Amino acid sequence: MLEFLLRRLATSLVTLLLASLVVFVVLEVLPGDPAQVMLGTEARPDTLAALRAKFGFDRPAPERYLSWIAGLLVFDLGLSHAYGTPVSKLIGDRLVVTLPLGAMALTWATCVALPLGVFAASRRGRPADWLVMGFGQLGISIPNFWFGILLSLTFAVSLRWFPAGGFPGWSPDPLKAVHALVLPALSLSLAEIAILARVTRSSVLDTLREDYIRTARAKGVPERAVLMRHALRNALIPIVTVGGLLAGFLVAGAIIVETVFYLPGLGKLVFDSINNRDLIVIKNIVLLLTGCVLTVNFLIDVVYALLDPRPKVSA
Amino acid sequence: MKAFLGRARRHVGFLVGATLVAIVLATAILSTVWTPHPHDDLRMALKLKPADTTWWLGTDHRGRDVLSRIMVGAQTSIVVGLIAVSIGMAIGVALGAWAAARRGWVDELLSRFGDLVLSMPAVLLAILITSVFGASATNAILAIGIFNIPVFARVTRGAALTLWGRDFVRAAAALGLGPLTITWRHVLPNAAGVLLVQATIQFAVAILAEAGLSYLGLGAQPPVPSWGRMLYDAQTYLYDAPGLAIWPGLAIALTVLGLNMLGDGLRDLLDPRLRPLRVG
Repeated sequence: MLEFLLRRLATSLVTLLLASLVVFVVLEVLPGDPAQVMLGTEARPDTLAALRAKFGFDRPAPERYLSWIAGLLVFDLGLSHAYGTPVSKLIGDRLVVTLPLGAMALTWATCVALPLGVFAASRRGRPADWLVMGFGQLGISIPNFWFGILLSLTFAVSLRWFPAGGFPGWSPDPLKAVHALVLPALSLSLAEIAILARVTRSSVLDTLREDYIRTARAKGVPERAVLMRHALRNALIPIVTVGGLLAGFLVAGAIIVETVFYLPGLGKLVFDSINNRDLIVIKNIVLLLTGCVLTVNFLIDVVYALLDPRPKVSA
Repeated sequence: MKAFLGRARRHVGFLVGATLVAIVLATAILSTVWTPHPHDDLRMALKLKPADTTWWLGTDHRGRDVLSRIMVGAQTSIVVGLIAVSIGMAIGVALGAWAAARRGWVDELLSRFGDLVLSMPAVLLAILITSVFGASATNAILAIGIFNIPVFARVTRGAALTLWGRDFVRAAAALGLGPLTITWRHVLPNAAGVLLVQATIQFAVAILAEAGLSYLGLGAQPPVPSWGRMLYDAQTYLYDAPGLAIWPGLAIALTVLGLNMLGDGLRDLLDPRLRPLRVG
């Protein structure tokens, strides 16, 4: 068990290290002169030289790479070119919007998708099942940013129940902040609900075929208890796996949805940094988000290994 | 083939999907020769007109005909999706088949490489590429294409590994055929069904990704019409012309829905046990 976890941890770390190398090569080696990218082709030679000196672009690439990694280990991510503030502070300030947004979307998705999937499984082949499956198809086909626009058209522009965008901050009124995150979280969760409901349905259907379900029914256990206590609980492993994977992709979805709702989160920071050509910020955020996906994948495998002893043999 | 068509005629999902995809393809082709109005004529006097008998879906903030732009936008989506999936498929299938044939360190190395790319969602990859090389349709295609490589590699490897264990492939190996010949003549033809299903699903994913990227301004650049960018522009006029935000989104959703239903239908018809890989 411990050996499996250590091996898995080592692979994750190697993948992260490789990712950092790819990010570094794409952003700082391939373009030739990163200072030129940041300032544009019309920059004066002396400003270029000054920028090179300020960010150390005049040093050899391997040295720059190593000093970036060394800085990462002590949370020193360097200075933002556009804002002039430490990148770690910029990212920290934005995480207080993006993390709650992702958490709300994931919670909401789980609360809706699990009952929906179990319900569809219990009505297999009947109209209710078709309806849920149809919703599932629709949910993965609608782009989250369009869903966001539709939500804000309905609930912000027409009904005026929620703000169409912006974020008031957590103080002095945290409720107002949550209020501002409702529509973004809903639009972020649509695809997750669709995928999670489909997985829950098929996973519950698989467990419903097991002998212990037949035994439970034969013993006279009420159908509702069979579904919730026996089928769903045993169907949870694949559901947790997919749920975790989705958590990683929520991060990517947040980049677009934050733009739709003008939220000052990590996604908006990425968006602005692209326009500002702030390579230092982009470099660190891409690695951070990749790290998030890898961490989530690792945690899923840990949970998986704890719940079920089989995968460690094949790993 | 006849049996396939017979079953296909009774599969509702497949029929709906195929019809939707056919409509989108026909629209894209038609738009190369005819649109109700020229799609890029600026008529500031006619801006933000609601739908009527001349402008069936109204006009946008520059007085351009929305329907014509949606029709031409179909070309953008299809071309980006088609090339991105082709890149991913050409390289991914080759790598996956190689990994399955060689096993050992090649397999291990390619799998790790796949994990690496898949741990960066397509949007992140695109951000990385466009922040250095600039935003363009070509770079969006490249980003989506690179993301597709490990998806196809994984599916091909899985299918090929099963096939390498089957008797007819073992017999071919025993007869002294090389791994390349076996892969080309026996493994790939038998994996074609899985790959076709996966290609349809990835086409849908690519169109969604393209829409997202052009919404962020990282895809096709103006004046080329793209559905994602039309939605971005529409957002400024939500109060004055809400219709602008409806039609391009509907076009994306119906196209993606059609491809997803077509993919799922093909899977049911070719092999109900198949489960395509779904990553966004």
